[in-house]
Amino acid sequence: MRVQQIIWTKRLGWTPGGGALSAESLVLYFGSRDALACGARYEELRRMFPTAHILGCSTGGQINNDDVGDDEVVAAAVGFDATRLRLSRQEIADPQRSRDCGAALGRALLADDLAGVFVLSDGLNVNGSELVAGVSEAIGPGIPLTGGLAGDGANFKETLVGADCAPRARIVAAIGFYGPAIRVGHGSAGGWDLFGPRRSVTKARGNVLFELDGEPALDLYERYLGPDESKDLPGSALLFPIQVYDLEKPDTAVVRTVLAVDREARSMTFAGDIPQGWTAQLMRGNLDRLAAGAADAARQARDTLGAHNGDPRISILVSCIGRRLLMGQRALDEVEAAGAELGPETLRLGFYSYGEISPHATSGLCELHNQTMTVTTLAEVA
Amino acid sequence: MHRLFAQQIAKATDEGGSVDLQKLSSLIVSAYEEFDRDRRRTDRSMSLMIEELDAVQRNLEQTVIERTKALAAREAELQAQNLRIDAALSNMSQGLAMYDGDARLVICNQRFIAMYRYIPTDIHPGLPLRDLIRLRAENGTFSGNPDQYAENLRAKIQIGQATSQFVELPDGRTVAIARQPLPDGGWVATHEDVTERRQAEMKIAHMARHDALTDLPNRVLLRERLSEALVQVERGNQLAVLYLDLDLFKNVNDSLGHPTGDELLRLVAHRLRGCVKETDTISRVGGDEFFIIQTGVGNASDAERLARRIAEAIRAPYDLHGHHVVIEASIGIALAPADGNDANELLKNADMALYGAKADGRGAYRFFEADMDARMKERRALEVALRKAFENGEFELYYQPVLNLDRDEVRGCEALLRWHHPERGMVSPVEFIPVAEEIGLIVALGEWVIRKACQDAAQWPNDICVAVNLSPTQLASKGLLPAVLHALASSRLPPHRLELEITEAVLMQNSEATLHTLHQLRALGIRISMDDFGTGYSSLSYLRSFPFDKIKIDRCFIKGLGDGSESDAIVHAVAGLAERLGMTTTAEGVETKAQLDVVRNLGCTDVQGFYYSPPVPAGELAEILADKTGRKTAAA
Repeated sequence: MRVQQIIWTKRLGWTPGGGALSAESLVLYFGSRDALACGARYEELRRMFPTAHILGCSTGGQINNDDVGDDEVVAAAVGFDATRLRLSRQEIADPQRSRDCGAALGRALLADDLAGVFVLSDGLNVNGSELVAGVSEAIGPGIPLTGGLAGDGANFKETLVGADCAPRARIVAAIGFYGPAIRVGHGSAGGWDLFGPRRSVTKARGNVLFELDGEPALDLYERYLGPDESKDLPGSALLFPIQVYDLEKPDTAVVRTVLAVDREARSMTFAGDIPQGWTAQLMRGNLDRLAAGAADAARQARDTLGAHNGDPRISILVSCIGRRLLMGQRALDEVEAAGAELGPETLRLGFYSYGEISPHATSGLCELHNQTMTVTTLAEVA
Repeated sequence: MHRLFAQQIAKATDEGGSVDLQKLSSLIVSAYEEFDRDRRRTDRSMSLMIEELDAVQRNLEQTVIERTKALAAREAELQAQNLRIDAALSNMSQGLAMYDGDARLVICNQRFIAMYRYIPTDIHPGLPLRDLIRLRAENGTFSGNPDQYAENLRAKIQIGQATSQFVELPDGRTVAIARQPLPDGGWVATHEDVTERRQAEMKIAHMARHDALTDLPNRVLLRERLSEALVQVERGNQLAVLYLDLDLFKNVNDSLGHPTGDELLRLVAHRLRGCVKETDTISRVGGDEFFIIQTGVGNASDAERLARRIAEAIRAPYDLHGHHVVIEASIGIALAPADGNDANELLKNADMALYGAKADGRGAYRFFEADMDARMKERRALEVALRKAFENGEFELYYQPVLNLDRDEVRGCEALLRWHHPERGMVSPVEFIPVAEEIGLIVALGEWVIRKACQDAAQWPNDICVAVNLSPTQLASKGLLPAVLHALASSRLPPHRLELEITEAVLMQNSEATLHTLHQLRALGIRISMDDFGTGYSSLSYLRSFPFDKIKIDRCFIKGLGDGSESDAIVHAVAGLAERLGMTTTAEGVETKAQLDVVRNLGCTDVQGFYYSPPVPAGELAEILADKTGRKTAAA
């Protein structure tokens, strides 16, 4: 496996220039919606890597090794020696069809030697939980499924995904890795602290939350955010993620992040389901513990990789936009903490997302996560 | 240097290594702003959280207050409910005890404690069943192994089935215990003292199969026992069925009253019990009829011995409330398998044998014989003929003169009944009188005899009496006195010319009513004589019970005169006794001159017998009376 990092800046364009990698190669790229929307970046990459599968999305910020930035486009070209690739792409017209869409992707990729799947999805027009469930059902258990939902800064207006095409909205894409040589490591962790009383989800439908303890959910968030930050909803709601779980099965706990608010209905739309009757508790972040969470995710990814140290490898870091909003400039801390675990020989790139996809740390079932750092590490063994 | 500041400097440094101060300051300002926002956010969220937690705590406190109140109310309600349950339990007529899944007492009522004589302070919830039973073993309301009992009981309950049983306590009480398993593995038990009910049930069951008067088995139990015994007969054993009834028992009832009759039956039952083996069955099947099933019979003589033993036991006199009573039993015997091996057949054949015994005279026993059926038919024919004879006027009175020895003159005549059967010719009174007695014809026949005798005597010379025999049945009958009065009135015969003869048997049933009747008759002027004197029991005592006018000495003594027996002495003694008591004596059955001379010498006042005259039809009597010597001449 050969790995090459490429950066695009307004001033310099792509550096360094491209080149032929191998018969089976993949280019991953992440940039702001503004940088990607025109389609020029894709066209440039296509010219540089005419035979590669080119997969990318808009973000809430890009991760480039130890740096976090908003302006540049980060990319990596990966040439495989003994691994085959297959790319699949679906348009999603209606979030209600998320599970079907996921299933179609999974079926398109399914093969006996399928070894891993990486998904990039529209971040706003999809029910992430359903999408992941659809893919998981189609490919079955035991095959690592990772990825993330595209972002749009703190704007929540439009997200773009490109898969062997110019990036656009309402695209869901996945790339499958095949053969015995590929190794896929994965890890996911949050590091958020629970705080405040436990609340009952008294009214919810799918991923739309109406009431907690009989009070409109939006009222609670506005009270905690205060008048100034309430203006920045839904983005500011990411400062207070929510953990939900079935009181009778506490290990079902998942963290959910807000995608949208409806000020009329006083409801909030989350990136995953909020089952009515479950228990919810607000969370808040402490900078040090969030960074420790990122390190934990990286450690899991390293440990589950199963390849020798020294093999060329690439890690794709997908972290939640909520973490970046809270951490501000200190987001660098979590990227550095993850990097310290992965080691200097590992090329790291990634993005701040509207949702992360990774197997659950304890159950192993693939799920949509929010407010986490997820790390996917790829390597080939001889 | 602070890591963030280092990062900021790195960000603000270009490729050439020069620091863009404007960029650096904007990064630093922005970082300050981020920290401010974070601090305000933290402050805000902390104070909100405290508010919220405070509200939650107040809610919880309120909830605790409300729940505590509700609990108190519930507790009060439970207490009231407990009182109601207590009242219900205390007023139950049954003992009740409830146990948990570990066989420990949960609750019990006062009745339960009292029933098993527990000391109330010993009994408390949680007490193991085993200990409860042990306490009972100590106070004498349980016998057995308490641990084993408790273990068996638990095993039964664990199967989950309701049980009920009757338990006999060592003190004789019977307790019905019903146990109902509960879902928790425990059970509830009710205890009811059913001693009286059980006793009543047993008594009813006993009564259904026993005779109330004698407590002997009744016909139901008799049949059961006979069927059981017949099973043994199938295995080669023999048995005898004895059917017994008391002769003339009806007279005892009629003359002494039913209570006395009942007392006699009880005494008879007692004597019968003394005659049989433990394994034999005595049954009273009604009235004065008894059956005896004799088992272990080797041959017919075993049954015969029993029959004799019974006859002898029955015959011994009874003292019934001061009345001296003698009665005899007739017994029919059927043997199995010789006379049948079926209950019905055996009972019928014993009945037939009894009938045969009756026909032979009282106080007899008879074995069943194959031709008894035929003889019984013959007897039935006799009964039918006897009834017809009365209607057809086939009876006739013969008269035998009685001679006074002082004057050698006929003093009177004894009326003797004769039956001219159209086919069989003359039938002996010995044969038909018992039959008439049994079929109830004797009273009517006796009345006819008195009436006819009076009519005939009214034709005779004024100094000639007529003597008529009275049967015990007749004397016991309430119709006797009116019948005598009517006979005297219609014939116009003076009462002193009528003489009524009674036998000792009459006096054996020495009832007030009989004596009263005799006194009434005597008060009319009718003479009363004792017939067949010397043939029954303790003859002399009867002479004291009633002032007889005459004693008739039985012919057996006359027959024995001069043969060296004690007849002479007896006749002499009786004659002497009678004289001193102011009675006359008639020697019966005088057939020879020698006998006449002896009785004259021994002091008898009158004689009767073939030496003077046999009984003759009324038409031939006139000639004898004319002669007054009482001798029927050869020409006559």
